[in-house]
Amino acid sequence: MTSLDEIPQKHGSNEAWVEKGGVHWLNPGKMSVRQLAAAMNELHARFITITAYQLPKEEGFRMEYHWDLDGQLLGFSFVLAGKSIESIFDLCEAVDWIEREIHEGFAIEFTGREYEPLLLRQGDTPGVNLRDAVVASGALAANQEKK
Amino acid sequence: MSYKIPMGPYHPALEEPYKLDLICEGETVEDAKLHIGFNFRGIEHLAESRNYIQVIALMERVCGICSNIHTLTLCTAMEGLTGLTPPPRAQYIRVIMAELERLHSHVLWAGIAAKLMGFKTMFMTCFELREKVMDVLQAISGNRVNYSMNRIGGVNRDITDPQSILKMVEALEAEMARTVIPIFTTSRTATSRCAGVGVLTTEKAIALGVVGPVARASGVPQDLRRAAPYAAYAELDFDVPVQPAGDVRARLLVRALEIMESCKILRQALSKLPPGEIHTEGEKFAFTTGTATARVEAPRGEVMYSVSWREGSRNPARVHVRTPTFAVMPAIRWMVKGARLADTPLIQASIDPCYSCTDR
Repeated sequence: MTSLDEIPQKHGSNEAWVEKGGVHWLNPGKMSVRQLAAAMNELHARFITITAYQLPKEEGFRMEYHWDLDGQLLGFSFVLAGKSIESIFDLCEAVDWIEREIHEGFAIEFTGREYEPLLLRQGDTPGVNLRDAVVASGALAANQEKK
Repeated sequence: MSYKIPMGPYHPALEEPYKLDLICEGETVEDAKLHIGFNFRGIEHLAESRNYIQVIALMERVCGICSNIHTLTLCTAMEGLTGLTPPPRAQYIRVIMAELERLHSHVLWAGIAAKLMGFKTMFMTCFELREKVMDVLQAISGNRVNYSMNRIGGVNRDITDPQSILKMVEALEAEMARTVIPIFTTSRTATSRCAGVGVLTTEKAIALGVVGPVARASGVPQDLRRAAPYAAYAELDFDVPVQPAGDVRARLLVRALEIMESCKILRQALSKLPPGEIHTEGEKFAFTTGTATARVEAPRGEVMYSVSWREGSRNPARVHVRTPTFAVMPAIRWMVKGARLADTPLIQASIDPCYSCTDR
């Protein structure tokens, strides 16, 4: 058994790793994102990024967390019913900017951390979902009409 | 007396805008705050309104220096969603383009670093050399900035006469070995301006998750070409230069050695260029629903693309780009702490930042 296989077992999950689209995925099940970050720290995995996906209609968001372990790309997907998820900034310093960027672009709240001033749009309103704001402004529709 | 010096957004050292608020005690920097976003163009969101051909042209414009790397990563991810595999010749051409891009990026950086060190003759020498690399890129692609080389399933242009390109690369390598490398590695000016300046320790580099030459100059032996080979890198022999000191000089040495390694890779790739097609010919493809991820080692480190598609859609549902400078820039705060104010432009330049990439 590799150290990777020990992760789900240690956290009471029967899930297995699945390789898909260049990523080794593990369904985190009941494991929280903070437990996951601690497990990645134990393995000395390198944090890469978080990708936020806005789900259709009012289904919320999907957050994909990625770490690198000796060249293997590891992926963990969390579906958010609401608009918040625990921050892992205190466990993993490398997440600082991407948590701030997602907070600014998708209005997702990373709980348990303080934010510095806006990273990408200084002087603007924090926590605005830019996609919704663009749609509401009608800019996209005007652009499509031009085409 | 403690005081704050705002540096930027029009930068004393670099062409792109970004801002650093330096908290100083006398001439010593106590702390710093970084402000980015001056180049924010909403490219990821724009990508969702482009089809699979347009999105390649769009993402090529994320960065003006490593434009080829962005399309290479994007196309690799899209190939994961379509099931297309580029033919071997295309994989080698992708390596050749990626290494030429690394060469011109590193030589450009060397020139700027030389200028900041007060070594203006070296700046001119580096830019003259970079021009020769650009000539090679132009000879292959017909372009100097956005090369339009990558497509889903291969590349757009062939290298019809690898021997002539090989001669250009050999001339370049000889010139670099004769002038740039010895000066950067042995000159007293370079050493006195760079040694012990802007140190990023191995522990901090790991904690911050920095990538590329900055990580390697802090003793972290991390390179995707070796750890997770893509294109034809698994078939090529090269070393990954690592320096433990973590200072500006170590970053200089790593990039200087990488220039020589890139020449070594280019010589092999051009000599071994396999015959055959340069892209999957006439093969129909369709995107499957899902997300595919690709990573490559850009001149500044790891680039990662996550591309999400819904079957039957013309446009991607989501394109997320994690650029290397986005991962490396937070380290500047730790590099300038305790540094002399006069050294901060060189320290900032030593990570070879790309703010357009960072902001997207």
